[in-house]
Amino acid sequence: MNNLNIQETKYTPKIDLDFENNTVSIIGKSYPENTFEFYEPVIKWIEEYFNNTEKDTISINFEIIYFNSSSSKLFFDLFDLLEENNETNTIVINWIYDEENESALEAGEDFQEDFENLTINLVIK
Amino acid sequence: MNINEIQNLVERDGIVFLSYGGFLSQALISAMTEALEKEANENGIGLGMSNNIFTLFIELSQNMMNYSKSRDQNSAEVIPEGLILVSKDEKGNYYIQSQNIITLKDKDKIEPKLKEIQSLDKDGLKKRYRELRRSGKNTHEKGGGIGFYEIAKRCDNIKYNFKKINENKYYFHIKTMIYINKKEK
Repeated sequence: MNNLNIQETKYTPKIDLDFENNTVSIIGKSYPENTFEFYEPVIKWIEEYFNNTEKDTISINFEIIYFNSSSSKLFFDLFDLLEENNETNTIVINWIYDEENESALEAGEDFQEDFENLTINLVIK
Repeated sequence: MNINEIQNLVERDGIVFLSYGGFLSQALISAMTEALEKEANENGIGLGMSNNIFTLFIELSQNMMNYSKSRDQNSAEVIPEGLILVSKDEKGNYYIQSQNIITLKDKDKIEPKLKEIQSLDKDGLKKRYRELRRSGKNTHEKGGGIGFYEIAKRCDNIKYNFKKINENKYYFHIKTMIYINKKEK
């Protein structure tokens, strides 16, 4: 399975999906015009990853500075996908935020509450 | 669009950081967001507050972009224009507002959401936001259906009005406020 790397733009984050190292990282701003289309390859890659691995430990790093509402919905769907695979894999999610960025912290806390079965660490940058 | 409308909006609210009237595209929205980032930086606005300003600006402007797009496909009457304004008053409160022309159908979609939002307190809003995000309802909409709820979460107060132009067309004006002193709410 190949890695997937997407370069950062002014309104989309830098995305690195690394198969060998079992890491996913999404860093930057997220307010694409067509959010669902933009993230489609990312969702596909993660689905394929879980189909290709047996019981693995994957770490996922989110560092989102700010985002639009459709990105919020998209991240929710992504967490949903992770939760579906949580029993057969060890998934560690790091929600990284700047101490001053209260809304990023609040977004992380909301995900913690919505996905109690997932390990979501709130990490100060 | 009537230039007086812009002037009225500007005069009421002190220092204007950004005002734009016209056609909206993603490239423009992103360029204006960058300009706002620069302003926020130069004015020493804290990260928490400035990110809320950016999010409000992005939601309102992408909303306008999407409403004009849906009309592109469904009607010969294309009005891909809107006004957007970011300003600050002498106390340091921030205002992000927009105005555009929408159809009656859009109004019937937007108005119940805004009415519901106005009836909720902060906790109720948070709960409703998460419910809607979970249910995936309205996901056929570009914004995932939670845009106005996102807006409400990020600001301290919302005012809106619909002004009838004719049977099928309305001016939709929405003003969001971020208070420097949260007690003012």
